[in-house]
Amino acid sequence: MERIAVEPREDWRETAETHGFRFHTFDGDVYWDETACYRFGLAEIENDIEAPSAEIEQMCFEVVQRAVDDDAVLRRLGIPEAFWDLIADSWRGQHKNLYGRLDFAYDGAGPAKLYEYNADTPTALYESAIFQWVWLEQAVERGIVPADCDQFNSIHEALTGAFGAMAPDIRAGRLLHVACCRDSAEDEGTVEYIADCARQAGLETRLIYIEDIGIDAQGRFTDLQDETIATLFKLYPWEWIMADPFGEKIASSGTRFIEPAWKAVLSNKGLMPLLWEMFEGHSNLLPSWFEGDPAASALSGDYVRKPMLSREGANVEIFEDGRRTLAAPGEYGAEGHIVQALHPLPRFDGNYAMVGSWIVASQPCGLCIREDKSMVTANDARFLPHVILD
Amino acid sequence: MKRSRSIRLVAMGAGLLLVAGCEEAKVDTAIFEDARQCEANGISAEACQADLARAREAHVQVAPKYTSQADCEADFGAAQCEVAPQKTTSGGSVFMPLMVGYMMGSMLNGNRVGAAQPLYKSRDDRANFRTADNRSVGATTGRTQVSRSAAAAPSVKTRTASRGGFGASAFRSAAS
Repeated sequence: MERIAVEPREDWRETAETHGFRFHTFDGDVYWDETACYRFGLAEIENDIEAPSAEIEQMCFEVVQRAVDDDAVLRRLGIPEAFWDLIADSWRGQHKNLYGRLDFAYDGAGPAKLYEYNADTPTALYESAIFQWVWLEQAVERGIVPADCDQFNSIHEALTGAFGAMAPDIRAGRLLHVACCRDSAEDEGTVEYIADCARQAGLETRLIYIEDIGIDAQGRFTDLQDETIATLFKLYPWEWIMADPFGEKIASSGTRFIEPAWKAVLSNKGLMPLLWEMFEGHSNLLPSWFEGDPAASALSGDYVRKPMLSREGANVEIFEDGRRTLAAPGEYGAEGHIVQALHPLPRFDGNYAMVGSWIVASQPCGLCIREDKSMVTANDARFLPHVILD
Repeated sequence: MKRSRSIRLVAMGAGLLLVAGCEEAKVDTAIFEDARQCEANGISAEACQADLARAREAHVQVAPKYTSQADCEADFGAAQCEVAPQKTTSGGSVFMPLMVGYMMGSMLNGNRVGAAQPLYKSRDDRANFRTADNRSVGATTGRTQVSRSAAAAPSVKTRTASRGGFGASAFRSAAS
């Protein structure tokens, strides 16, 4: 694994626009960054990222099984009791999951270490699946990278395939509704891409803002055309749904959710101590505990403290020798914290690089790199493409 | 190769990935006025009865609903409406058109595409059958082809009682 400076395509901004990639620049700062790319060997991808991702996904299933069998686990995760049956029913009913992203610290030398699992509402999907792929095609064509470069990226095929597998169920309810919040170009870009994949699998889709969803007298969710919502893809976290007034209406609504409610167990950072408890010593896991667990004293002074539901690095704190050396801003933490052994991201040319491993229908199928000047990858991180070349 | 062999976008963006706009795919299905007509077309009595029963069940749910018989008959013709089992919130009667035929649940490449569904005929077009979503599916009975979206289960129209129950927690981007 190495970081290689490469020539950006002169026309990459226009190319981004013509491909519907509108959030390539945030508040004047570049998000899509092709001034460099990361090179991996095939063995690094297959042995160090792909295989561990597949294994971790199976380990996560064991955590969910345990959570639905044992209320104490759901209580530990801070999931409101009113939703325990919904989670258990979605798991036992085998409601299909679509996608997620495992975030790893990986430097090409030791095993990849799992930081967390964005199992419910991961973004960076479109740029990983499409724009990164287009970059490689054009970079090869223009001699920017060698012709025999490959990329770990069959995300698009995997997504359309996953929707194809769900299609018979979704069609019985006619439409797939696809929802995100208002006023986020990134979220809208992501759900438009999701809808595009679903349409390629032969589904009819309709976009709706989560705020516009209604309910009828029989407790069924409705769209702006007053049609009932049979299946809803929502880029909106389960913990927010649970706190919203309509949350309690879900169980009797008849609407099928993607991601299913059982993903709430995995998108919670409490997953990390649960994995450690069940698979202690696994080479891809970092020692982790719920804050306040006496066993956490094993961490001595070097650890990371993370709110259980924080997003994009918010409120993450780093402690070295028992002293707090970094505290990311944010408004999370009331839900409780976990502590995790400090295992800093590797630095390449002064940039901290995080490896995201995409999981679609529970199969690893691609990779994305986000770089940040800070050790805590936040929403101002930059996305860099990668190649596989031995 | 560890990457997608090809990618395309059908709705987002444009340019080199855009595929040519194409007509909506048709799917094979069959339309009948009753089960006897269905059996006469060589379909098993069991399948004919089962889909008729499913269509009748769906009829009550998906048929267009009216709060007066006159409004219903204005759309579907004299003596072409019946009382629905539903009541208005104030306890009044609800009317819906008579089911005059049914469409079999259709198959495509071995996958079930559409559910069996009821068909209607409007006052101003007595020739063609229409779905509950008011999509014309042609005048012929027997085996036929209809667009995939017409073959899909009809939408369930309802009345929204309130909105805005989701999104209250969205003071931050949902991204992660």
